[in-house]
Amino acid sequence: MTGEHDNDFEQYQALDLKIAKALQIDVPELRMPELRDLDTAKVASLPARKRSMKPLWFAIAATVVLATSISLRTSDLFETHNSLAAEVLAHLDHEPRAFDNTRIPVSDARLARAVPASLAVYERGSSLITYAQHCIINGNDVPHLVIQGQHGPVTILLMPYEQVKEETPLDGDNVKGVILPFGKGSIAIIGDREELLEPIQKNVVNSVTWAT
Amino acid sequence: MNSSSAEGKRRQRFDSLVAVFHQDMYRFAAWLCRDKAIAEDVVQEALLRAWKSLDSLRDDAAAKHWLLTIVRRENARYFERRRLETVDIDNLTASQAALLAETPNRELDDLREAIFGLDDDYREPLVLQVLMGYSTNEIAEMMGLKQGAVLTRLHRARHKLKDSVAEA
Repeated sequence: MTGEHDNDFEQYQALDLKIAKALQIDVPELRMPELRDLDTAKVASLPARKRSMKPLWFAIAATVVLATSISLRTSDLFETHNSLAAEVLAHLDHEPRAFDNTRIPVSDARLARAVPASLAVYERGSSLITYAQHCIINGNDVPHLVIQGQHGPVTILLMPYEQVKEETPLDGDNVKGVILPFGKGSIAIIGDREELLEPIQKNVVNSVTWAT
Repeated sequence: MNSSSAEGKRRQRFDSLVAVFHQDMYRFAAWLCRDKAIAEDVVQEALLRAWKSLDSLRDDAAAKHWLLTIVRRENARYFERRRLETVDIDNLTASQAALLAETPNRELDDLREAIFGLDDDYREPLVLQVLMGYSTNEIAEMMGLKQGAVLTRLHRARHKLKDSVAEA
């Protein structure tokens, strides 16, 4: 019996070697696409800090305090927010179909594929979901949904692995939005500049449950 | 550090990663879509996306997994955008046939054709395991499957290939 088993194993091992060889197809020379320098100001702009009316000495003292006491903790956090905001807005450029103005809802199966139970549950309720896609942002799984708002499509990105400490406004070329802290992760909601996002935010937050 | 030098370092990092993993990216794309020309397009799109989000890759040791995940996603996008039909092995385009270009080794050619003819569901985990060296657990995570399902698919894929080779 053991001999038979060993024989099978050897046969499969030999087959694997052949498969590996067969899979090693010739690779054409690398054609590097045109890689533009990143202009983060173009893809995401976070709100500018208001100009302080305090005197200069106060500003210097505050800077020193900031640098010595909290810089280690907050610099990482700010960079994370900034880069996540940039990633979220840049992601929209890659999903042109998400901006289709349609009234056709996605199927339950499509929604389930985009929002796997291992990540989250999304109760569609009365929302008209017209796009559902499983995406990757920052190397993490992100369900990407689109619902139809009063002024066109509204993008919802469920980011169970991206934590933000506070609401982060998003300001794109023709869109605005917010990244909301939500439990262990966050949710980005982006729509037309005219869109009233607050009621949509409430609705979305009530519709999402992260998988434990 | 000024911005141009930071940008230069970023580019250097990207070029190094691409130099190491370009072959894997291309072969993975080619076996996913079974078309040399489309594979090149998919890799181009994947490189653009990777460049854009390079800063999110915190550990270069995870670069292979990160890049192959991007390739997988771009391949899915490509087919979704174009709603392509599945490949008919008896009626291949030149670019599809190029993947099966004959070699001096008849057995290798037959096996390559058999792999080409496998369903996507069987071919992908096989490529990830045999060519890319992933464990069944990693493949399960990558494909959103249970490990048992991956094992079943791998077993069936090998069984089909074994039969094909025996028949040839």
